[in-house]
Amino acid sequence: MQLDSQERDDVLLKRSAKGDERAFTDLYRRHQAAIYRYALRMTGSSWAAEEIVQDVFMMLVREPKKYDPSRGTLGAFLYGVARNRIMKHLERTPRDFSLDESGEPGRETYPQLREQMTPGHWAELRERRDQVRSAVLELPPEFREAVVLCELEEMSYEEAARALECPVGTIRSRLHRGRALLLAKLEMLREVPKRANAGRG
Amino acid sequence: MTCEEFATAELDLGSSGIDAQLEIAAREHLRECPHCAALHENWLSLREDLRVLAVETAEAEASPRIEMRLRQEFRTKHKTVRTHRAALVLGWGLAAAAAVVLGIGWADWYFHKGPSVAKQTQTNPAPNPAGIHNASPVPQANAPAQSESNDVIVASNNYGEFTPLPDSIPTAPEDATVVRVQMQRGALSALGLTVNEEHAADLIQVDLLVGDDGVPQAIRLPQTSTSVSN
Repeated sequence: MQLDSQERDDVLLKRSAKGDERAFTDLYRRHQAAIYRYALRMTGSSWAAEEIVQDVFMMLVREPKKYDPSRGTLGAFLYGVARNRIMKHLERTPRDFSLDESGEPGRETYPQLREQMTPGHWAELRERRDQVRSAVLELPPEFREAVVLCELEEMSYEEAARALECPVGTIRSRLHRGRALLLAKLEMLREVPKRANAGRG
Repeated sequence: MTCEEFATAELDLGSSGIDAQLEIAAREHLRECPHCAALHENWLSLREDLRVLAVETAEAEASPRIEMRLRQEFRTKHKTVRTHRAALVLGWGLAAAAAVVLGIGWADWYFHKGPSVAKQTQTNPAPNPAGIHNASPVPQANAPAQSESNDVIVASNNYGEFTPLPDSIPTAPEDATVVRVQMQRGALSALGLTVNEEHAADLIQVDLLVGDDGVPQAIRLPQTSTSVSN
């Protein structure tokens, strides 16, 4: 299945390089959402995420030969390009906490949940979600991308390692460290001694 | 299992990638160590929060304007490439056509005009009855007789049997008028021709090809003039 997908990506990219707009559109629609989500979760800004998506695919339009099929899938290649753009963006704007998709007009997350929950529960959930979001965005980039890829994108360690072009062990250690930082930021660690004592009691 | 070992194994706990024995040991450690159990509980809670965050943005995608912009860029890029290719092909096509035309022109000149001129220049020039020394390759008035005798193909030109005068601007023969005049051979020098002074006083008949502006452009010595001169 993956081989078929890979072949199709290759074929589409070749056709795209020859000027087949339909092939390019298919490629874009196949990969844009994943790249966009990755960029959104890393930058916390929908505007920046769109800019990054545009940059990534603009590269594919202008220099399609940069992709070497022997080095991996097109998806992994695009992730790599997106990652470079994201890191540049983060260097320019180290902190950006405007990740608020639900705040955009016409978009509402979980309308069915809202109907079932009381306003108090809803406010609590929203507050918690905002805290987690802020904690993720405050992580150093290398730990953040491990958390984003493995926990939010639900990639395997191997897939994340391919996307970030680093060993699996590095991903594991970054994820471990990122998780500890997240827990620390969310002040969950403060509760640990209490719970530990309660467990002993 | 120590707490450090558990921290390492915890990443895989609950996933299919963990070794069965390692999972059993980790779960046993969880039961024995309240600190690790509390940490693990927190991690599970955080993981759930992260999942909520992931689901929240799971359907997120770039707005359609990005696709429009990229497609526009795609069209622009490939239109430019196509234009460059067309220009290149057209350029080479024109160059090839020019080369073919030049080749045909040269071949036409070589096989039709060139040899006759070459042969004509190789043959001894016939004595000029009018005593005119003209370097022009255009045949002289008596050239037909010469050409018949020597089997030379006489090159034709716009002037027919006329010899163009020096510094004259040729016009189409149909726009010109032929005027026959009788004059002293010496008067030919006024037309820019070289005249043998010994026969300068001879009367000769000449045909002048006169253009629209009344200026003689070419001269022809009819057979009768030969007799006059002789």
